[in-house]
Amino acid sequence: MKTNALTGDVLLGLVPIALVIALWQGLVSFGFAPATLLPPPGLVFARLLQQLVTSTFHHEIAATLIRLFGGFSIAVILGVSIGIAAAANPAINAVVRPIVRVLAPLPKVALYPALLLLLGFKHESKIVLVAADALFPILLSTYYGASTVEQKLIWSAMAAGTPRREILFKVVLPAAMPSILTGCRIGLVISCIVVFLAEMITSTDGLGHMLVTAARTFQAVDMFVPLITISLLGLILNGLLQALRSYLLRGFPEA
Amino acid sequence: MMSAATLLKRTAPVLACVGLLAVWQFASLVLKNDSFPTAIEAIRAVPSILTDKDALINILASLRRMAIGFALALAFSIPLGLMMGRSRAVAAFFNPLLMVIYPVPKAALMPIIMLWLGVGDVSKTLVIFLGVSLPVIYHSFEGAKAVEEKMLWSGAAMGLSAGQRLVRIVLPAALPEILTGCRTGLVLALITMITSEMIARQSGAGNILFNALDMGQYDTVFAMIIIVGMMGICLDAAFERIRARLVRWSEPQFDMPLSFS
Repeated sequence: MKTNALTGDVLLGLVPIALVIALWQGLVSFGFAPATLLPPPGLVFARLLQQLVTSTFHHEIAATLIRLFGGFSIAVILGVSIGIAAAANPAINAVVRPIVRVLAPLPKVALYPALLLLLGFKHESKIVLVAADALFPILLSTYYGASTVEQKLIWSAMAAGTPRREILFKVVLPAAMPSILTGCRIGLVISCIVVFLAEMITSTDGLGHMLVTAARTFQAVDMFVPLITISLLGLILNGLLQALRSYLLRGFPEA
Repeated sequence: MMSAATLLKRTAPVLACVGLLAVWQFASLVLKNDSFPTAIEAIRAVPSILTDKDALINILASLRRMAIGFALALAFSIPLGLMMGRSRAVAAFFNPLLMVIYPVPKAALMPIIMLWLGVGDVSKTLVIFLGVSLPVIYHSFEGAKAVEEKMLWSGAAMGLSAGQRLVRIVLPAALPEILTGCRTGLVLALITMITSEMIARQSGAGNILFNALDMGQYDTVFAMIIIVGMMGICLDAAFERIRARLVRWSEPQFDMPLSFS
């Protein structure tokens, strides 16, 4: 997905999105799908714009964002520190590696009922679920990045008199940064997805809850609005992370 | 000495499982919460679920949907990903669309798809298909992009057509990367399956989990979590075996499944 944005490519890329919307409009206009099941795109976007200025909608988005950022931040802090610790210390690695092997393929969403029972139906259970799901990609790519740091860099730093503990922050962390940021990007997308699902399964507010409420009352238009909102949120957050990445990685050869 | 080290390495995941269960047991004994049974109580409830005919049929039906969705997704995504990797135009055409779809939770489409296709197998399989496709496309794309040009030129010089080059050169060369995507996709298929059943609440493993939660059968809830967790770990381990056999020639790379939802 490292698209070197060239105008031609961007234009070409807009074609399928336009086609999807056109197909969507076409299905409705030519009566293949009744508007109650598939509302026309214009109606959905109008509804989205109309919703965007209401305070209830802001409240739902805020609830979702709190959970998203809460979980994501925990995942970044834990993932980066455990990943670097495991890469730096063989003893920690020997403990972390098998645990990660067992926990990484475990479908975290299955833990959600347990989290509900232990932490209640409020923010906490959702934040922990988001953190648990976003943790592993970040941890693994941090570990990968930190364990492939060129030994020569460390030797040079040591030869230049850097104390051992500072090497971690001055050499290993910056050198592992591209890989860490890739992990964060995957983690961010996962956070978006998981927070939405958790809210769909049980919640009293948030975007996922909006979708479920709309589905229960067969309001097809209102079902599309939260979906489009979460997709837009994902794109915006991804863009912000990309901007952060190009700022942090200025001066890296290819990033 | 060597054999002791290998033995330790082999048993490490099992030890990790035991350790995690021990932590669970300890935590529940300390917390003394009615809704948090000990690990031993939960494990004791596992056989009763697995011998219950209804539950077993439900779980097997879930697994069947998962297998179908996964297989269809591979058949669709690998060719698309490979073509995207080899042709800039195809990549530029599909990439933005995929980027827009990426952050949409696939299981969240369940209510909408249910409106169109009903609550049956078709809509659940479709959701699994959608969930698995993206990582597989992405990894096939990355794998095909990294194929050495020289090999393709040699192939072309020896008279292979574009289609033959894709099958005979690009596919094998990209196989390790594709399989990494498949592994992610497999875990993802399980997650999507459970989630879609939690949302549709009509049948399947996810439904058993939440019904037990609603009825306050907490040991069943935790036993189901163990069963689903074991499914994930076993599927992953089995796939790892297959992968190691298929790409024996490629150097072992550090890849563990990156779980998505």
